[in-house]
Amino acid sequence: MSLLSEQDRRVVREHLATIQQPVTLLLFTQTIGAPESALIARQVLDELASLNDLIRVEESNFILEKDRASQYGVDRIPAIVLLSGENDTRMRFLGAPAGYEFMSLIEAVILAGTNDSQLEPGSRALIAANVTTPLDIQVFVTPT
Amino acid sequence: MALESVHIRATCVEATEFMDLSRKFRVTGVPKTIVNESIEILGALPEESFVRGVLGLPEADSPPPSE
Repeated sequence: MSLLSEQDRRVVREHLATIQQPVTLLLFTQTIGAPESALIARQVLDELASLNDLIRVEESNFILEKDRASQYGVDRIPAIVLLSGENDTRMRFLGAPAGYEFMSLIEAVILAGTNDSQLEPGSRALIAANVTTPLDIQVFVTPT
Repeated sequence: MALESVHIRATCVEATEFMDLSRKFRVTGVPKTIVNESIEILGALPEESFVRGVLGLPEADSPPPSE
């Protein structure tokens, strides 16, 4: 069953048309005892991937693939890691990307698929000049 | 921002789903941004203010008043 209406699917498909390179949505979850939000996350990602041939979903088992989880710094589920081609974009989503977070996910997929942060030149310069050590940014949001 | 530097990791956290994190960082309203578990930024800011906040830089001087 589709989560989006046909009209929403059309709008999102148009947004995603700017993508030029493959984007992998790497979902960390678990087979047994997965939270319901992980199942919702999988549904949302599948729907997103159905709207553009360059988007694919890959599922990774958080319990069985601990090395992979730690490689991406994933310590809880459901977690979504965005890859541009094979490269880690260092963009993550924790929890089911429903509601407003779905819009953020679409934007993140577009950034990953165009490899363009869409930041102003001034912002890019500030980052280039000031970031020399790890910065871990967590943005807390709610679906409504 | 994560795309601009290999040092930056950006995570969007669903606050109601991870109450332990929300409590740890005292999230009472959204969006709330936490940088390196220390800097806190409340609300949605204009891009430059947000970038400066994340980087721990002071706000840019306001433009001089026009004549």
